[in-house]
Amino acid sequence: MERCLEFKGIEKAFPGVRALQDINFRVKGGRVLALLGENGAGKSTLLKIMSGDLRADAGTITLNGREMNFSSPNDAIRAGISVIYQERQLVPAMSVAENIFPGIPPRGALGLVAGKQLKRQAQELIDKFGLSIDPAAPVGTLSVAYQQMVEIMKAYRRDSDVIAFDEPTAPLTDAEIAILFDLIRRLKEAGKIILYVSHRLSEIFQVTDEIVVLKDGRLVAEMKTSETGEQELIRAMVGRDIGDTYAGLNRNDKIGEVLLEVSHLETDVLRDVSFTLRRGEIVGFAGLVGAGRTEVARAIFGADPVSSGEIKIEGKPVRFKTPKDAIDAGVALCPEDRKEQGLVLFRSVRDNVTMPILAKVKRGLFLDNHAEDEITIDAVKRYAIKTPTVDKIVMELSGGNQQKVILGRWTSSKMTTKILILDEPTKGIDVGTKAEVYQMVCDFAGQGIGVIFISSELTEVVNISDTIVVMHGGRVTGQMTRQEATEEKVLALAMLD
Amino acid sequence: MESAKGFKKFFNEKMVTLLVLLVIVVAAFTVLSKNGSYLHPANIRNIFSLMVVTSLLTLAVGCLMISGNIDLSTGANGTLCGILFALLLQGGVAWPVALIATLLIGMAIGAFNATLVNIVGFQPFIATMAVASVAKGLTYVANNAVAVPVKDPVITWIGTERFFNNLLPVTLIIAIVAFVFYTVLMGATEFGRSVYLIGGNREAARLSGIHPVKISYILFINSGMLSALAGILLAARLKSGTVTGVVNMQFSGMTAAMLGGVSFGGGSGGFGGVFIGMLIINGFNNGLTVLGVSSYWQTVASGVLLLFALTVDYLNMKRRGKRVSKRG
Ligand SMILES: Nc1ncnc2c1ncn2[C@@H]1O[C@H](COP(=O)(O)OP(=O)(O)OP(=O)(O)O)[C@@H](O)[C@H]1O
Ligand SMILES: [Mg+2]
Repeated sequence: MERCLEFKGIEKAFPGVRALQDINFRVKGGRVLALLGENGAGKSTLLKIMSGDLRADAGTITLNGREMNFSSPNDAIRAGISVIYQERQLVPAMSVAENIFPGIPPRGALGLVAGKQLKRQAQELIDKFGLSIDPAAPVGTLSVAYQQMVEIMKAYRRDSDVIAFDEPTAPLTDAEIAILFDLIRRLKEAGKIILYVSHRLSEIFQVTDEIVVLKDGRLVAEMKTSETGEQELIRAMVGRDIGDTYAGLNRNDKIGEVLLEVSHLETDVLRDVSFTLRRGEIVGFAGLVGAGRTEVARAIFGADPVSSGEIKIEGKPVRFKTPKDAIDAGVALCPEDRKEQGLVLFRSVRDNVTMPILAKVKRGLFLDNHAEDEITIDAVKRYAIKTPTVDKIVMELSGGNQQKVILGRWTSSKMTTKILILDEPTKGIDVGTKAEVYQMVCDFAGQGIGVIFISSELTEVVNISDTIVVMHGGRVTGQMTRQEATEEKVLALAMLD
Repeated sequence: MESAKGFKKFFNEKMVTLLVLLVIVVAAFTVLSKNGSYLHPANIRNIFSLMVVTSLLTLAVGCLMISGNIDLSTGANGTLCGILFALLLQGGVAWPVALIATLLIGMAIGAFNATLVNIVGFQPFIATMAVASVAKGLTYVANNAVAVPVKDPVITWIGTERFFNNLLPVTLIIAIVAFVFYTVLMGATEFGRSVYLIGGNREAARLSGIHPVKISYILFINSGMLSALAGILLAARLKSGTVTGVVNMQFSGMTAAMLGGVSFGGGSGGFGGVFIGMLIINGFNNGLTVLGVSSYWQTVASGVLLLFALTVDYLNMKRRGKRVSKRG
């Protein structure tokens, strides 16, 4: 029998938000359906209802004609529904094998055998995916991209009827994305139902068959992928045209004197890294996962120890011992991993935005809550952060809006930044806001700030940066201007050994 | 603004629950005690004068727990300091000098804890437990397990004087001032906010320019100082430094903090709730004494209460944890 998943009249409200209103649509087996919409449109909420993690206020979901009524995610898994969430769910201290096969603890004398078997099965799966991961390695030691692949393998081996991917490619680079798409095609051929959420429109055209667009919790468009185009999709999502993102940018053309000079920088990971950043310049860092881009940022910022080499800011040698010293000297780093290194999930949007500027929002001995609110409201407006109030706990925001909170923190009006380092700043951010983020980056450059822009999206780095530095295996393998750069050239250098 | 209201509602609900728990504890002991002697002025006076010890130890461990840490040595540290203080006075040292010297000893023990946890990298649980054991041993060695009398008039005045019809002990004033001070410190200053942020996500706080190690040192040293003060004030009240002092009271502090909403996981809990948690624990401990429960059974009862607080915290964390991991 052909598989069929149907949503009927789904409703869901949270305090202050109607996250989903009257959602109706269906997907057939062997089809890949894209779920699109701005940050906070309700995509993840719908997937969570489908997986039994949240309960709908009204409406039903049927799989193959049977109504699904889950009281826990385990029920959903047993009924053949797997969701790969936007935020990773792995246990960092446990091995890759144990994460892929949870609930089978290899203990005791028999456990030893079970443990070996587990490792072998995990190895088979890893080979099938064509990855080079050690099944015995603790997941926490893997790169973010590989962690994501472990997450995907974990869902894959359950052999579910329905597999949903919530922004699976956000932490991945092209190599892993190719593996993932290959896998999705295989699942499709096997007649599975696949739901796919992503903010990268090019991917939608590569792997999906049908599209459902959500806006403010309502279903606003349903179409066949083959019958639509990028501009039409954007209009449906954003409600207006946004034109050509890159051509429309108001760029800065006044590049000044050298601001940051890194020479022969070495750390555990980096080998002989040298580059310069000028006032008003945007230097993009491209490379595959593990190329060392994040490590360069962290070394400059004083987050990781430097073993040798020189860092000069405005001609003066610096070697920051802690991030605090770097911030005081005008360096800001917006980190890549928002859950681990960025956010304090149980604190409010305000508390998260003002973290690095607490000393500047004081009245006498006390924190000035009013000033904090003002700065936060400003950030909420600039990035269109979807939150009912600045007191909302960050954990309750949608993934993209969480990312905007970090951007808001590191670009707030009280920061006196000379060098702004952005590590994957647009991860999980919708198309409309992305264009605004690019413009803001150009505006910062216009104010004379030097910007380091790290991104795994090639198109983005190549089009935003004035200069592109390409890395591989902890070394710089090439450098070029925007005029010289093409995606092919950058990619070739990124793979160079 | 709806979520702000929701937050307030949640806060009030928690406070109401705590107040109800407090009323239940008081009512139960009143009914169980002979002729309601639990609520007799003489006993209320007793409860009030014991409060300072529980308060200081609760504040000490509460701040550390918010930062995601723990100190199990407060009781042993305070007891050692109590007896050392008495010995210093007995040796003819002027009380202000003895007071400062003893506080410094308590702080040194705190700094030692901080070093074990932050620099050496030991688990705070194990490290502070080991330090507690050392301190306990030193307490016995200090005066061959014999109590040391405290005769200094100023100190005994602080420990025993009561104002207002004998109802308001000086020590209670100290406890209240301390609570107000720490409530403001943790709720309204940069330092307090930093403690919550570190407890919520240490690495994110570090990358935002907050010094987790520095703050951890301050909190452990603070914990040592408050423990020493608790030991000193108990010695002042009993007019003697004893080897039992405030020993094992660290668990009362932890229980009070957790009842008040401070989570083991760090990053949450306000001192309003903790104050009521402290009242509950204090009332509970005194109630057992009034009922004439043997000290062995008192230990059992305190353990059960701690398990209860742990369970509530665990259920809260589990709920939160689930929500964290599925956030997207
Ligand atoms: N647990 C929660 N408590 C309160 N509000 C929530 C909760 N979960 C989601 N919301 C709200 O519901 C709305 C929809 O969120 P959802 O996570 O579904 O968005 P999304 O479409 O996945 O966005 P993104 O592209 O940013 O991931 C948002 O406004 C969000 O703030
Ligand atoms: Mg989402």
